[in-house]
Formats: sequence, structure tokens, C-alpha cells
Amino acid sequence: MRTKRLSIGLGKTLAVAALLFWSLFPIAFIVMSSLKPGQEIFAVPPAYLFTPTFENYASLWNRWGSFFDGLLNSTIVTAGATALAVSASTCAGYVYSRNAGRFLNASVVFLIVVRLIPPIVVTLPLFPIINAMGLNDTHIVLIVLYATFFVSLGAILMRTFIDQIPRELDEAAQIDGAKPLTILLRVIVPLAAPGILAVAVFVVVFSWNEFLFAFIFTATKAKTTPLVISEMIGSIDGVDWGILFAASTVQLAPVLLFVVLMNRYLVAGLTAGATKG
Amino acid sequence: MAGLRLQKLRKAFGAAQIIKGVDIDIADGEFVVFVGPSGCGKSTLLRMIAGLEDITAGDLFIGDQRCNDMEPRDRGIAMVFQSYALYPHLTVYDNMSFGLTLSKTPKAEIETRVREAARILKLEELLDRKPANLSGGQRQRVAIGRAIIRKPAVFLFDEPLSNLDAALRMDMRMEIARLHKELGATMIYVTHDQVEAMTLADKIVVLDAGKVQQIGRPIDLYKKPANRFVAGFIGSPKMNFLDVRVTGVSNGAVTVESPTVASVAIEAEGFSVGDRAVLGVRPQLLRRGQQQPGLGVIRGTVSLAERLGAETIVSLETASGERALAVIPQDEVFETGSAVEFVFEPDAAHLFAA
Ligand SMILES: Nc1ncnc2c1ncn2[C@@H]1O[C@H](COP(=O)(O)OP(=O)(O)OP(=O)(O)O)[C@@H](O)[C@H]1O
Ligand SMILES: [Mg+2]
Repeated sequence: MRTKRLSIGLGKTLAVAALLFWSLFPIAFIVMSSLKPGQEIFAVPPAYLFTPTFENYASLWNRWGSFFDGLLNSTIVTAGATALAVSASTCAGYVYSRNAGRFLNASVVFLIVVRLIPPIVVTLPLFPIINAMGLNDTHIVLIVLYATFFVSLGAILMRTFIDQIPRELDEAAQIDGAKPLTILLRVIVPLAAPGILAVAVFVVVFSWNEFLFAFIFTATKAKTTPLVISEMIGSIDGVDWGILFAASTVQLAPVLLFVVLMNRYLVAGLTAGATKG
Repeated sequence: MAGLRLQKLRKAFGAAQIIKGVDIDIADGEFVVFVGPSGCGKSTLLRMIAGLEDITAGDLFIGDQRCNDMEPRDRGIAMVFQSYALYPHLTVYDNMSFGLTLSKTPKAEIETRVREAARILKLEELLDRKPANLSGGQRQRVAIGRAIIRKPAVFLFDEPLSNLDAALRMDMRMEIARLHKELGATMIYVTHDQVEAMTLADKIVVLDAGKVQQIGRPIDLYKKPANRFVAGFIGSPKMNFLDVRVTGVSNGAVTVESPTVASVAIEAEGFSVGDRAVLGVRPQLLRRGQQQPGLGVIRGTVSLAERLGAETIVSLETASGERALAVIPQDEVFETGSAVEFVFEPDAAHLFAA
């Protein structure tokens, strides 16, 4: 008995360790490499103990000003896309949750089907249209595109969350004199906050890291960080791996921080809902 | 303050007719209780008055105003839900003041009204708590507080006490009665509970299958039920029903009998000799005794006797397999399987069409 329990415990520990290694190793590798002098990065065997240096970050600042422009663009696009996707998903989820009808039910199926089409198939034909509208190389085009990808999933997710909020709350608010938008903002949104954060996490991570559409629709003014990083790899004077890892670390940090912070909220939100009673 | 008039109200959900033409007049300040079996449409009717459900046909007047197409907030009503429906993310104070805040009532006035409601309902200590940290009874009081604050002309309650335990129910019942006296507002109250209906109501409306069966003062419904449904529904334990045959009719009195029931004359109309009928006798009217002129008699064998100390509940099985219940207001020994005769005053018995 005891040995069995012990071995189960050991197995669990090993599994978790493997999982952690699998997901954390690349991150650790990038962050550590960014702190090593250039010639030590690919040393064999790798040096685990070394004197950290910030020279890569200094060079990044001095030689790749465009990287920081990219960060600003990424921030604008991510914030915009997230705000748009979250608002649209919440409104749609509310309507889906509180109303029934053949048209509405059919449109849910449509939302799912649309999600199954590879986005690139719909996106490429957009190129001439966006060109004609003069939206090429603007933040708006990426904001709208990224948000659009998540509204279908987000709406369905939000409906599930809002379904768990008793309808009597809407009705009580209605009797208290609230109009639909007030009910949404003052009753539904605060109670569906965990769901809204969950959708936000999806959109933030996607928008921050997205490469292909940014590559297609932006050139200089709205260029996001992933594009700049890719330019570093294709740079004519050879790849400076130290700078590349420094840039990757900077690119990684905010999302990582965001997800970790939100994760705490997400877990708290879920357990709070469970014990509300 | 306002009375209500429901005229030929109808409600259909798709093809399903739920409320089938309901007429009720409710006076200003009256306490009206809707009772009826589960699914008969009590909540639906209440929600139609509140404006949470569209009215398919008919007219609803609150005060002098036709309210069919009026928004709930404009009807001068407040509703207390069975599930309380408190806003979980708001404190007790904010729950109660939500409506006033929306209508941009001055802060000072909100404060006064919340304090006043909190005083009436003994919630002063709890104003900063969230609903999750309240007991069932406290939540119920907050829900009532939220209603009081609006100073409505009409209060609507949908089974407000059914989630509370027995002791708390009694407290809250008295609280609601006191509130009605204090506020003088019209109240409409849906319940399953006989005691709540009998004690709170000025007027009871008995509903079945979307139709009004009878409207009247509690004691009138108990003593003079309009039909067999009302007779069986009001009173606990249920009225006994026994199949009988009409053997004689003379001005205002109908004589009936059956193998179980000795020939007895009951005040009734609309029967003729040879008709089948149903005799209704409340369990509390039966007592052990011998046949004598002027008394009704039911014969059978005791199938179960429950001695509760203050009273004894006897189940009787007749020769034809019918069952009857007698509630004897004292401790008495009945032997299971023994033959008994129960007598009753025919004045208090009822006769219904079979
Ligand atoms: N939105 C709806 N769509 C279709 N049918 C409904 C709807 N709401 C209620 N009903 C039906 O209307 C009937 C009456 O419901 P209602 O809730 O008014 O009953 P009730 O008398 O309050 O019962 P209970 O005592 O169980 O609360 C039920 O048969 C119910 O199934
Ligand atoms: Mg109901």
C-alpha cells in the first residue's frame, strides 16, 4: 500500500516536472541567453553559471530603434483588438444567453462553422479591399482582423458564462428601472468578469504574437514586434543572436506577466462563482 | 397607492394556453394571495402584472391606468423573487439603493430611505455585507428591503418564504403581515403554503389550470367552497370525498346515502333523485359516535391511527374501498382493523356534482 502510494506520488511529481521542463525550458533558454555575452550563447557544453551582462539590451536599444516602435504598435493593436473583441463578445454573448429563436440558434452554428475555415482563406481576398479603403499599414486593420477572429469563439464563451447568471437578476434590475444596456453594464459585466478576462487572455496572447497577418497588412507605420524580430533574423550583416534573444525576452515579458496576473484572477473568479450560493 | 383590475387576462406561450381568461378586482391596500397547484399559472399571472411577461389578451389596470404595454419600472410595482435575486456583486446598501441610483435620486434622500428600510427590517448592521455573507432569512429581508425602498403602490411576492426553514418562515410571515399593516400598500402574494394563505390574505384567489376557481375571504373559501377543487385545495388535511347517491330532494335539502354513508340530508341545490354526487366532509368534523337523528354517519374499519398527543389522526377504509381521514382533537385509542362509526354535523358538510 505505502509503496504504491509513494510511487503514485513520485509519478505525479515526475509528470509535473516533465511538463514544467517542456514549457519553461524554451523561456528559460531565451532569457538566459539574452544575458550572456554573444560568444557564450552557443558554447558546448552550455554554461549554466555565467556573469550576466546587459550588453545585448544596450545594443538592442542603440541599433534597433524600430524594435521599440514595434512594441508601441503591438501595444496599440493588442489593446484595441482586445477591447473590441471583448466588448463585441460580451454583447453578443448576452443576446445569445437571454434570447432564443431560430435565427439566433442558426447564427451560433454559423459562428462555429466560420471558425473552422482557415483564416488566411478569408483574409487574402481582403487585401485589395483594404488597399482600396486606404487602411493598409494602419493599426485599425490589424485591430479589426484580430478582434474578428475571436468574436465567434468569444461570443460562445461569453454565452456560457452569462447563462450561469440567473435571469431573475435581469428581471430584478428591470423592475428597478434598468434598461438593457444598464443591465448589461451594471449587472452582467461585473458578474461575468471571469469570462471576460478569459476571452481577453486569448485575444491578448494572439494579437501580441501574431505574425502572418501583420506581415501581409503592414509595412512600416503599423509594424508589430514579431515582424521586427523576423527582420533581425534576415538582417544583411548576419544574425546577432545576443540582440535577438534580448528582443525576444522583451517581447515575451509583458504577455507572460499578463497571463500570470490574469491567471490569478481567473482562478479566484471561478472559485468565487462556485461558492456564491 | 393603487388597486388593480385584471380583465379577461390571457397568456399563451406559443400554442400552449397558460392563463385562460382571468378576472380579478383588487382593492387599494388589499392583501391578495394566489394559491393553486404547481404549474397552474400563479407565477405567470404575477409576472404579467409585473410586466415581465407580455399579456396575450385582456386588460390590466393598476390604479386607473391600463398597463398592458407599460415598462415594469413605470407600473409602480416592486417584486420579491423566490430566489431573492439579490445582486451578488453589490453590498446590501447598494442592492437596496440600486433602483434609486438609476433614477438619479439625490444621495441624501437615498441614504435616508435605505436607513429607514434597514430600520424597519432590522438590517442596520448588515448594510456593508455582500449577499454571499448573509443567512437565508437576512437575504429575504434584503430582498424585501429592495422592494420597500421603491415605495411601490403594489408589492408582488412569488413564494418568498419557500426557501426558509419552518421557524424562520413563521417569523417572516408575521414580519410581512406587520409590513402590510405599516405600509398600507396593496400586496399580491403567491404561495403553496395553506397557513400563509389563510393567515395573510384579505382575499384568496384559487387558480387551477389557468382559470380562477374561486375568490373570497379565507374563511369563506374554507366554509363555502364553490366547487370540489377549492374544497380539496383549501384545508389540511384534505377534505374527505365520498361517492353517494341522491335519494330525495326537498326544498333546499338533498338526501344522500351510500353503503358507507347512512342516509343524511345536506343543504344543496341542483340535484335530482337518482343523481350520483360527492359528499365532502372535513377530517376535523368527524368524531366517534353512534347514529342518531340529524347526524351523518360514515362506517368503516381503522387502517391506521396516529397518536400525536394533542390530536389523533385516524385513517378509515370503507367497505367499498374508499378512504377517509378523521382528525380527533384529543388523544384517543383506536385499534387498527376494528370497525368504527364516525358522525358529523350535516350543516358543515358539502355536496358536489360527481
Ligand atoms: N416561458 C415559458 N414558456 C413556455 N411555457 C411556460 C413558460 N413559463 C411558464 N410556462 C408554463 O406555464 C405553466 C404555468 O407556469 P407557472 O410558473 O406560472 O406555474 P406556477 O403556478 O407558478 O407553478 P409553481 O407553483 O410550480 O411555481 C407551466 O405549465 C409552465 O410549464
Ligand atoms: Mg411559481
